[in-house]
Amino acid sequence: MQLDILTPEKKIFSGKAQSVSLPGVQGRFQVLENHAPIISALQKGELKVISDSQESKWNISGGLVEVLKNKVTVLVEAVV
Amino acid sequence: MPAQLKEVRNRMKSVQSTQQITKAMKMVSASKLRRATDRIVKMRPYANKMQEVMSNIASGSGINIELAKEREIKNVLIVPVTSDRGLAGAFNGNIVKLAKQLIEEKYHAQAKSKKVTIMPVGKKAFDAFKRSGHIIKPDFFEMFHHLSFDESLKASEWMMQAYKNGEYDVIEIVYAQFKNAATQIFKVERFLPVPKADTGKKKESINYIFEPDQDELVNALIPRVLNTQFFKSLLDSNASEHGARMTAMDKATENAQELLRDLSIKYNRARQAAITTELSEIVGGAAALQG
Repeated sequence: MQLDILTPEKKIFSGKAQSVSLPGVQGRFQVLENHAPIISALQKGELKVISDSQESKWNISGGLVEVLKNKVTVLVEAVV
Repeated sequence: MPAQLKEVRNRMKSVQSTQQITKAMKMVSASKLRRATDRIVKMRPYANKMQEVMSNIASGSGINIELAKEREIKNVLIVPVTSDRGLAGAFNGNIVKLAKQLIEEKYHAQAKSKKVTIMPVGKKAFDAFKRSGHIIKPDFFEMFHHLSFDESLKASEWMMQAYKNGEYDVIEIVYAQFKNAATQIFKVERFLPVPKADTGKKKESINYIFEPDQDELVNALIPRVLNTQFFKSLLDSNASEHGARMTAMDKATENAQELLRDLSIKYNRARQAAITTELSEIVGGAAALQG
């Protein structure tokens, strides 16, 4: 699936990913291939991405995620 | 050498050195402008996506938005956004003028009863309003020293908090929107309460899972949209400033060039006149001796 992670100041990730794990306000959740459409607010926590069996992590201060048709867009307020 | 010649020469020298300065400032502004527009471009995908998601959620009507409720206007907060430095043509002057006009026309009654607060952003706005008789909130006027989203966040969150606490009933931002290097659009934008979005075009609704539910999500999202919007205004203003300065300095360089041309004509004329007088003096002297 296509994954874009955006902040107001720059794009920090854009590309294919196998899995994204997110700190949702109602608990952590993971988005895999063919996830149902969802919009969720994110809280402070760790954002984990697995892309080509490589793991990347960011600590985010909050944000928002939208998943639609295998396209995941994460809007992050700030990376700490 | 006659006095007039020297005068003109000195004048030319001073114009030349001024021209050098304006030329340098133009170059500097041009490069700063590029960086500023870069930041706007980088910000755009985020802002657009935010707007899109917002409209996706809000399409379910009947949502109660706390920050969009209109109240009776008693206390007003005006946020003029200028630059820290001058020499940018009419840029800062226009912002200040627009802000004053806004107070005069729209919030005259509130201004009379000292219910208008100014929160200047940028040193020039602070200077312009510090003796205006309105209440000044100077906490954020140095924002442009290090313009970052974090700094902008502090200001916009403070504004939202103050609005929620009822300290202000309306918050307006006066800033210059960046169109291109030569054009800025000076405008007043209402920050809070949130202007009603146009519900004109309905997109086909997608069955999203909302987490938390729609109502809460909207209320959690609006502050983020506002933060983004405020940051965008700052970036816009920043780019506008450099654009305005670039055009102003370009014009100044051009004017200096013109002045130099006139002066050099004047100089050559004076020189020619001096030579002619000298010659006729010599000829006259020689004639007198022979006579």
